[in-house]
Amino acid sequence: MRTTLSIVLAGAVLAAATVPLAGHHAFGAEFDPNAPIRLQGKVVKLEWVNPHAWIHIEITKPDGTKEVWMVEGGTPNTLLRRGLTRDSLTFGTELIVDGYQTKDHSLKRANGRDVTFTDGRKIFMGSSGTGAPRDGRDPTETPTKKPGGR
Amino acid sequence: MPKAVKQVAIAVVAAAAGALAAITAMPVSGQAPRPALPRAASGKPDLNGIWQAMNTANWDIEPHNARAALAMREGPVVPVPAKEVLALGAIGAVPSGLGVVVGGDIPYTPEGLARRKENQANWLARDPEIKCYLPGVPRATYMPFPFQIFQSESAFFIAYEYAGAVRNIYLKDPGPPQVDTWMGQSVGAWDGDTFVVTTNGFNDQSWFDRSGNHHSEMMKVVERYAMTTPGHIQYEATIEDAKTFTRPWTIRMPLYRHVNADARLGQFKCVEFVEELIYGHLRKTPLK
Amino acid sequence: MSHRGRHAFGALGVAVATAGLFLATPSAQAPPGIAKPWTLPRSADGKPDLQGNWTNATMTPLERPEGQAATLTAAQAARIEKGMADRVERLAQPSDPDRAAPPHGGDGSTGAAGNVGGYNNFWIDPGERIAMVNGEYRSSIITDPPDGRVPALTDEGRRRQAERQARARQFGQYDNPENRPLAERCIMSFGSNAGPPMLPNYFYNNNYTIVQTKDHVLIMTEMVHDARIIRMGGERLPKHVRPWMGDSIGRWEGDTLVIETTNFHPQQLFRGASDTLKVTERLTRVSADTIHYQFTIEDPETFTRPWSGELPFKALNDLIFEYACHEGNYALSNVLSGERAQEREAAKKKSQ
Repeated sequence: MRTTLSIVLAGAVLAAATVPLAGHHAFGAEFDPNAPIRLQGKVVKLEWVNPHAWIHIEITKPDGTKEVWMVEGGTPNTLLRRGLTRDSLTFGTELIVDGYQTKDHSLKRANGRDVTFTDGRKIFMGSSGTGAPRDGRDPTETPTKKPGGR
Repeated sequence: MPKAVKQVAIAVVAAAAGALAAITAMPVSGQAPRPALPRAASGKPDLNGIWQAMNTANWDIEPHNARAALAMREGPVVPVPAKEVLALGAIGAVPSGLGVVVGGDIPYTPEGLARRKENQANWLARDPEIKCYLPGVPRATYMPFPFQIFQSESAFFIAYEYAGAVRNIYLKDPGPPQVDTWMGQSVGAWDGDTFVVTTNGFNDQSWFDRSGNHHSEMMKVVERYAMTTPGHIQYEATIEDAKTFTRPWTIRMPLYRHVNADARLGQFKCVEFVEELIYGHLRKTPLK
Repeated sequence: MSHRGRHAFGALGVAVATAGLFLATPSAQAPPGIAKPWTLPRSADGKPDLQGNWTNATMTPLERPEGQAATLTAAQAARIEKGMADRVERLAQPSDPDRAAPPHGGDGSTGAAGNVGGYNNFWIDPGERIAMVNGEYRSSIITDPPDGRVPALTDEGRRRQAERQARARQFGQYDNPENRPLAERCIMSFGSNAGPPMLPNYFYNNNYTIVQTKDHVLIMTEMVHDARIIRMGGERLPKHVRPWMGDSIGRWEGDTLVIETTNFHPQQLFRGASDTLKVTERLTRVSADTIHYQFTIEDPETFTRPWSGELPFKALNDLIFEYACHEGNYALSNVLSGERAQEREAAKKKSQ
């Protein structure tokens, strides 16, 4: 029983990802599982907007020409509460993105399935505050959070 | 409703009604003594209630003539309404107004003025109001919809009927805005009997009106809400934006209380009203 | 941050265990003579002060999993919470910088991740705690019926559900913006965040601002900045006026704010409810950092019996940020244009 519950309750959270159509939307609606991408490029624009943040990176194609891709993230609000600001991801920072292109292949847009720095570290911290220690090398580190509330 | 609350509510409405009656009976010169303002437990004026501007500022905050439409085209003799708005007839026409900008004109930089001209020429494509986007500040104040102030000892919150826009006016400064938003980040404080709100952290997307008046993300707005009678707030907003204007400038207007006993904010969640406009071409079978 | 969560949780444990003595019925007041560990703050007009920012994020689901008891032991709850914390830690580990693109045909992820892997876990903030009410770790938000599940639909409810499904089958799910979920259209939040009832979405931004004046209570839901204005007393809206979130009228029963909401928007079907839905909510501040939130759903045309649930709203010592959804909604146009692009491609292939 206990095992079942912990699996089921953990599943309830994971299954929250199931979010029925009454909820948000399934990413499978927007992105094409048959169009995987791996991008490596420099941040040129940041849109900290809802419902999804967009990180614009400029990649250099094999033929040497440059192309800007938009990478979809989640709501910025959760990151703002962890100290993110509009300046947190500095322009020119090089990122690696793996994901899938939008079903509309005329758009240079992809989901940020996994967005990391070139050393593999995730670009932001998770909700429990665990993960890589804050040692000052992280350009997304921000100083102590301001007091919130009304 | 609990009796005590009901009694206070009746007293406030009676005071407002009495005050309005007193004002209309007074000579225009305004030498009459000011009616007592409703006050909160803190002693500050109690701005709770439903308010609305009564002017044509949302059409154009500068002085303007009445004319056939905001989007026009060449006609055989004079310009005529553009095809897209023609069917609205007089409902799509622009009323005249004396404007609300103190001193008359907005002090644009040359680039700012050029951009306004572009905005006007492309009004249908560019006015954020058409897409039901959030109105920004101060436009939210003078949209042709009421708004409601919720003032308590620890909070000051404004809910606007238009697009369900909201502003939580912080009474404690949380520090510089972390992100640019449509409605900005607001901090409020009392200056005597005037509530002063400072807002920044705007994006550059909202307009001041339907006439292409615009701003950059550097804008800072300082509003002053001064209750002059129980039914009136004298409202001022000073705009500072060195990227767009050569100096700060101010708009000024009275705000009027909705005094009907059943006054309440309606709901205007217009996002679904503009789906055909924004997404119609992406339907499986677009309408012809 | 977990430190905040842990402290709040510990304080809740103490406060609710004590408050539990007098939370047997939601509207009960403290019996005289029992010392309270904390004084209920009151507004200027003597009413309990519910103001501030609050969150109802939790790991506890709405409905109880099959075969589960109504409460969990402390050990069970701890194990589940640790499972979540471990998962967050695991997903925060660095990736291989030399990783290739993900597999062609999808990465096998299910649910909202949609076989394309969604996005990194650091964007998510789902709630890290099992809900604790009256000193109990709850396995479901629903408390009544006793099995913790939404009761069966009436015949009428089932008939209308079948009707709705038949109507929906007339369309492909990507044919029109109106065929997409309300949240994807940016009309309302995920699930029943704004409600009422106000339920967590198990994703993020489960946050609310409450402001209280002498004749109104305002509850703003972070997504989609929806301000529900609750009038203290007053007349109902006319029957045909049906706003999103319905029409809420509040009153005080002792120190509990009771809100009754009717006149729901016809499209805001909560679990299939009809236009006779009535939601009653009860909010009681039980500690410095907890509001006890209880709700009852009544719709005799849809459900075979009323049903109720409860969960804590915890103080959020953080800002709530603007959620301007429609203004930044690339996603909806990506979804529609993507489907149109695939239809064109399929049509081209056919004609070749």
